[in-house]
Amino acid sequence: MHRKSTGYLFVLPALLVLGLLIAYPIAYTGLLSVTDNQGNYVGLDNFRTILAARATPTAFVNTLWWVAGSIFFQVILGVLTAILLNQNFRGRAIVRSVTLIPWVVPGIVAATTWAWMLHTEFGIINYMLTAPGIIDEPVGWLTNGSTVMPVMIAINVWKMFPFVAIMVLAGLQSIPNDLYEAARIDGASFWEEVWYVMLPQVRPVIIAVTLLLVIWALNHITIIYAITRGGPANRTLITPIQIFRTAFESVQFNQAAALSVMFFAVAITVVFIYIRTTAANAGASK
Amino acid sequence: MSDTALKLKRTGLPVPLIIIGSVVLVAVCLFPFWWMGLSSIKTLRELYTIPPIWWPSMPTLDNYYTVLFESNIPRYFLNSVVISLGSTFLAMVLAIFASYGFARFDFKGKPLLQSFVLVGQLLPTAAIIVPLFVTLRVLGLVNTYWGLILVYMIITLPLSVWMLTSYFRAIPVELEEAAIIDGASRMGVLFRITLPLSIPGLISVLVYAFVTTWNEFIFALVFATDSSVKTLPIGLAEFSTEFNTDWGAVMAASMVMTLPIAILFLSMQRLFVGGMTAGATKG
Repeated sequence: MHRKSTGYLFVLPALLVLGLLIAYPIAYTGLLSVTDNQGNYVGLDNFRTILAARATPTAFVNTLWWVAGSIFFQVILGVLTAILLNQNFRGRAIVRSVTLIPWVVPGIVAATTWAWMLHTEFGIINYMLTAPGIIDEPVGWLTNGSTVMPVMIAINVWKMFPFVAIMVLAGLQSIPNDLYEAARIDGASFWEEVWYVMLPQVRPVIIAVTLLLVIWALNHITIIYAITRGGPANRTLITPIQIFRTAFESVQFNQAAALSVMFFAVAITVVFIYIRTTAANAGASK
Repeated sequence: MSDTALKLKRTGLPVPLIIIGSVVLVAVCLFPFWWMGLSSIKTLRELYTIPPIWWPSMPTLDNYYTVLFESNIPRYFLNSVVISLGSTFLAMVLAIFASYGFARFDFKGKPLLQSFVLVGQLLPTAAIIVPLFVTLRVLGLVNTYWGLILVYMIITLPLSVWMLTSYFRAIPVELEEAAIIDGASRMGVLFRITLPLSIPGLISVLVYAFVTTWNEFIFALVFATDSSVKTLPIGLAEFSTEFNTDWGAVMAASMVMTLPIAILFLSMQRLFVGGMTAGATKG
């Protein structure tokens, strides 16, 4: 009953829009990366210039820390939260709703609120740490080179762990009851159930979510950009922010494009792994 | 099912752990939001006091007055509403047709096209922002509502398509076939049968698209530099300059920006969470 060509008509408008505003710009980046700002072909000059810039390796290393640090804590906290929310207890619905708040709060709001809480003189965080004597004197969290990146990671973890939690929770709730009963007949304790029943069952979800988090950590630059713009002294300069600043602050579109092409290659590899993994999961769960 | 013949011991987290865990979780998630609200009703003097004032002795709405009557925030609020509604509506329309096509038809290259749609969702902002800027400049759409509406549409369209596709697939195809035998057209089927049955899915897509566009910062920063199109996130960033930040007003503006979206989201969260988990992990 389905004429095959009709399907194309339905998907065509969306594909046209995406093609025009995604595929075309991507192709255009490629062109920009090998030309100068007059449009003359310059080969790999832009790549050489941007790779030779002092900020580039710094940004690369920072990006690795940013992604790895964010994801490590997001996944661990997210899974622990999911296990907690999977329990039956009074008030669970409220706790679950509250857990979603960091995720819903706009990135810029999260950034400014945390910046205020981390204020060196008047911030509540320094007060909560100095009052009971955990630290001796207020710390300049956002100006101190050694604390600023961990703090950015902490804010990012706060913002995104709820997402991991709800995804893993959905996975936990689809585990068939007989698996738990079998474990209980064998006399498994709660933590043994976590280790031998829950985690293996939600592993595909965790893998898919982790890959999404990698992509989002590379994608969402609002928190860092709004608070530090990559400073102080490039301590929080990650590659996406370097691209942004090269393009819109130094107005070097061609070098920014060259950096985008390299960044894009890395990101698309992650995306490819994600698609393969989710496809494999979908196949396995059928 | 739990009434098995065997009396099994009930396992679960020990109660003290549940209580401690819940309290810590709620505190961590809620505290910044609470502190934002509290700071927004403090007087200047109480805002800058050490030790911090936990409860203002004379709560004030001065900061809200500043934000609502002495700043550009109301204008930015309006811009945000227009842009978010516009792009959400357009993304919904395109997503409905695309998802229906993907869910109900088989055609050559479908898996590839579906992957292409997903790639759109996952593309790094930083990698496309430069060419997108150049493209919009050529089209004359920088600093226009349409520019941001289009940009936000391509951000939200991919995941919307994936979420709706899984909703449409879950609706029994027999219902549609019966209607077609009765002489309904393909469009009639879509609008009279499939869409009414997918209202939860449509709502979750709507919430996702609206929240995403409402919250977006980086694209707005680049594509809206004129106050006639700037959105709330940009307005908020303008309040806090490096050396002189009126923190009370910033926190009041944060509340103005967060409350509508938090209310929308939390009232729809059941639907939304279901659609989201299905869309992102199953496809």
